[in-house]
Amino acid sequence: MYFCGVQQIPPEYIRKIIHVDMDAFYASVEQRDHPELRGKPVAVGGSKERGVVAAASYEARKFGVHSALASAIAYRQCPQLIFIKPDFEKYRSVSKQIRAIFLEYTSLVEPLSLDEAYLDVTENKKGIATATRIARQIRERIFEETQLTASAGISINKFMAKVASDYHKPNGQKTIMPEEVLPFLEELPIGKFFGVGKKTAEKMKKLGIHYGRDLKKWDQALLVREFGKSGVHYYNIVRGLQKSEVKPNRIRKSIGAERTFSQNLNSQTEMLEALTGIGQKLAERITAAKASGKTVTLKLKYENFETHTRSQTLNAYTQSSQEILAAAQKLLLENGPNQAVRLLGITLSNLKPAQSKAKSVQLTLDF
Amino acid sequence: MKFIVSSGALLKQLQIVGGVLNTNNTLAILDNFLFDLKGKTLSISASDLETTISATLEVDSSDEGLVAIPARLLLDGLKALPEQPVTFVADEKSGTVEMSSDYGKYSLAFVEGDEFPKLPEMEDVSTTTIPGEILATAVTKTLFAAGNDELRPVMSGVFFQFSADNLTFVATDAHKLVRYRRNDQHSDHTAEFIMPRKPLTILKSTLASVGDEVNIHYNETNARFEFENIILTCRLIDGKYPNYEAVIPKENPNVMEIDRGTFLSSVKRVAIFSNKTTHQVRLKLAGSELHISAEDIDFSNKAHERLTCNYEGDDMEIGFNSRFLVEMLNNLDSDVINLEMSASNRAGIILPADSLEDGEDVLMLVMPVMLNS
Repeated sequence: MYFCGVQQIPPEYIRKIIHVDMDAFYASVEQRDHPELRGKPVAVGGSKERGVVAAASYEARKFGVHSALASAIAYRQCPQLIFIKPDFEKYRSVSKQIRAIFLEYTSLVEPLSLDEAYLDVTENKKGIATATRIARQIRERIFEETQLTASAGISINKFMAKVASDYHKPNGQKTIMPEEVLPFLEELPIGKFFGVGKKTAEKMKKLGIHYGRDLKKWDQALLVREFGKSGVHYYNIVRGLQKSEVKPNRIRKSIGAERTFSQNLNSQTEMLEALTGIGQKLAERITAAKASGKTVTLKLKYENFETHTRSQTLNAYTQSSQEILAAAQKLLLENGPNQAVRLLGITLSNLKPAQSKAKSVQLTLDF
Repeated sequence: MKFIVSSGALLKQLQIVGGVLNTNNTLAILDNFLFDLKGKTLSISASDLETTISATLEVDSSDEGLVAIPARLLLDGLKALPEQPVTFVADEKSGTVEMSSDYGKYSLAFVEGDEFPKLPEMEDVSTTTIPGEILATAVTKTLFAAGNDELRPVMSGVFFQFSADNLTFVATDAHKLVRYRRNDQHSDHTAEFIMPRKPLTILKSTLASVGDEVNIHYNETNARFEFENIILTCRLIDGKYPNYEAVIPKENPNVMEIDRGTFLSSVKRVAIFSNKTTHQVRLKLAGSELHISAEDIDFSNKAHERLTCNYEGDDMEIGFNSRFLVEMLNNLDSDVINLEMSASNRAGIILPADSLEDGEDVLMLVMPVMLNS
């Protein structure tokens, strides 16, 4: 569809979506429970030497410390940083409290992680007219019950809601009204678009695409030529066309386990041994999730923090820890790391759709 | 080193030997043909380290020499020449081979032949001899059923099983299995080894025109096939082949006899409408009727056909991957086949009902696709 003159988004693309994002969730929970940490730069996860930051308090963020940053780097940037061991059990229970609040308003809640969720409130249980008011109420309720602050974004689809929730963070909210969506997207830097990562952003900039308005000038065929299938997505999203179904039971796409080592691994023997341990952990998770998958991915982070992944797709779905481990080991041997490794991980993806309607199963000879 | 040879004769041998060339070799020397000249006998070889093929041909020469010549360039150069005598002269000083035709001269840089990997010495060798034609048939009948799962390398090859009673060739990917047996052929030695896919693919195409006997020499790690002017040496797949006899069901009370061509075309037509991931077709047998159907629920596609057959047994329904059925039925030569079954969750066995040579025994087995409700 090509819009000229007055642009508008077709009504079937307009929902009332709220994206709720807890502010520095893990760090805030720790500061709540340990008053001596309040007002101080806190990092949850890792230590001075090893690991990665799972969450950083706002005080720490001023120093450029953010989640997924290697702890050693974080420490260099902020020597007074206090490292706290994560207590996921606790975060999970707080997350449950928050989810219970969401569910009072709508059953269409799609959790993205412990501290983030999409809510579709187009129809809500309390009959509140505007999503903006619902968001405000939810944030107030969260604060009353958990003494934690949340930010929210409200708009017509998931992507817009997510962009909006970043706007007045922390402890704020922003609504992008349907008629504001297209002008907003025109001014949005390309790197903020959903599905545009670092690499894609670089490529787009090389092509002269810096803002939504630049992207909009490209026709779909050209975008597909440059970006493959994603081209269609970019074409649509800048036009506000995202059918964002809020899925209460988010389908798992992969199951993984990884480990950062307290000392870098230098030899292949050490790495293979470590893989066995990671494989066991992964096997437990696979069993717990009753999952099976086809693609095994090996993740390697080298001492220089470069991360590489290698995958192999098997012929048939598997849940066998041995098979998965064998594939991971093979990937490791084939891509013999030429430097010391600080992190190893194995992921099983391409998961078998759980009990999809009447799926047939090819039987295998019993060798 | 100097020799004169017919361009066509040389090209023919190079194309056979070139079957082993890889497009991306880790070792640069493997992008070359090794030319080993000893008087009137020129031997040319190519290798990928796993498999090495040599062919000898007669040339006009009284010279000796050993050089490695870039394979791709030489093949392309020769292909572009009409049949004629060409003269090859290797000049040690300039390090080039000059090829002269009626039209002019072409130079290629060569590499010292010593750098070419040596063939492994084979010790404790046993030998079995088999007519080329029979070996070609055995490979053709089995190779398609071999797997390509890197995690189960033994199943990526064909299992050779030699005994005093017969020679047996087996391939399986754990979903289907083919056993090709010759009761008219024997070996003085009992032996078992697993041949990888690549050398078999080369043998299959090369052997088709061979009337001669093939001498197969083998030990624990390698096998060497010698026939006419060709020697193919390869490393064997290391490992234990699955106990295939144990999975061939013995009691199969339900037997359908049907015209192979009719059955095959029906499966092909119906399969077009099957689910694109499972390729499942259903066979429903009742009386002397076979119903073949397929369904793709996701797209509401459906097909159903009815054939007549001879059927003995209880009424039953069984699902198969149509691709497997098509591959297997295509690979048989008989007019009529028997499909023997016991239950919808057990293997079906396809046997040719005619056109077998004396001493020839073909058995194909296919595991069903089950509806998981």
